[in-house]
Amino acid sequence: MSGMNNIQKQWDDFHSYVERRDVIFYYVGYFSQTIIAAMADAVKLRVEHAGAVAQTRRKLFSSFIEMAQNIVHYSADSYEKEGNSEASMRHGAVFISLTDDRYYLHCANPVNADVAEKLREKLEHLRSLTIDEIKLEYKETLRAETPADSKGAGLGFLTMARDASAPLEFELSPATADDNGNGTSMFYLRATI
Amino acid sequence: MQDTSENEKTTTGATACLPIKNEHMDNLFIAASPSSPEVDFRFDERRLSLKGESYPENAAQFWGDIITALRRFLTEDTDSAAVTVNVALAYFNSSSTKMLFSLFGALNDKAKAGTGTGTEIVLNWYHDEDDDTIFEFGQELMEDFPDLVFNDHAVKS
Repeated sequence: MSGMNNIQKQWDDFHSYVERRDVIFYYVGYFSQTIIAAMADAVKLRVEHAGAVAQTRRKLFSSFIEMAQNIVHYSADSYEKEGNSEASMRHGAVFISLTDDRYYLHCANPVNADVAEKLREKLEHLRSLTIDEIKLEYKETLRAETPADSKGAGLGFLTMARDASAPLEFELSPATADDNGNGTSMFYLRATI
Repeated sequence: MQDTSENEKTTTGATACLPIKNEHMDNLFIAASPSSPEVDFRFDERRLSLKGESYPENAAQFWGDIITALRRFLTEDTDSAAVTVNVALAYFNSSSTKMLFSLFGALNDKAKAGTGTGTEIVLNWYHDEDDDTIFEFGQELMEDFPDLVFNDHAVKS
């Protein structure tokens, strides 16, 4: 019996923390296209259950996909299966919280120093724009040539910025050098829907 | 490798991943997956349709192959009858958005080239009635590709 109580206690502790932080969805681990598609289903159901209106659900879903696919494309922590370099698997985390009728989408993943600088530049620029300027830049980028270093046609963060009800927030941890002297930072992003 | 279409595929080289023949245009059908739409391009009926959600891992490749097949049809096509394009995509991610823009660009080029000879391209753009994002993207298409006959269809959810 004491064993069971212990299991229950662990769940209670965990649940009370989740509830206190208004977390409605959380995942940490490797991201692949298959995992994203399965999570996308779960997120859809979860936000529907949470009572979000259709337009909010769509914006949440859109930002969730952009964030998750960013992790697959840009996370510095990749999982290489032996003899299989085909499928991309990158490490990262996402969570969704719901506080006072506002949804917050968070993601975190390690990035290399060069990527970190580009992210900082891009996001600081986006944060300086009004929503009308974001929409204008979105239209221009849609019609422009795709940047060579982009897998999302340069529209990913613009899409999130367009769908968010407040400027995108981000942080980059100080870089830590690995064995090869390449710096890695943690990249944290938060979108308010 | 027993079936003949498989052999023909390999002879076309660059387009080996699509069921395209050299002599005449085969229709293109790709079943929907959890993260990619159903693609049903019935070139013989001059009716092309897209339905579902689009956030494939590599949108440039997924849509690139489709655009290649479409361009080939548009180039080889000599019939002047109208082409109808039905698009009912409930969601597309940012990289798919970019590729869709190219796809409609290719259709617009054909409609423009056909001015006077009568090739009409009708784009039926379906979206949920309260989905502003997809409605607005349709408006962008209408603005940029004026040679397409654009019909907006708001569908009740």
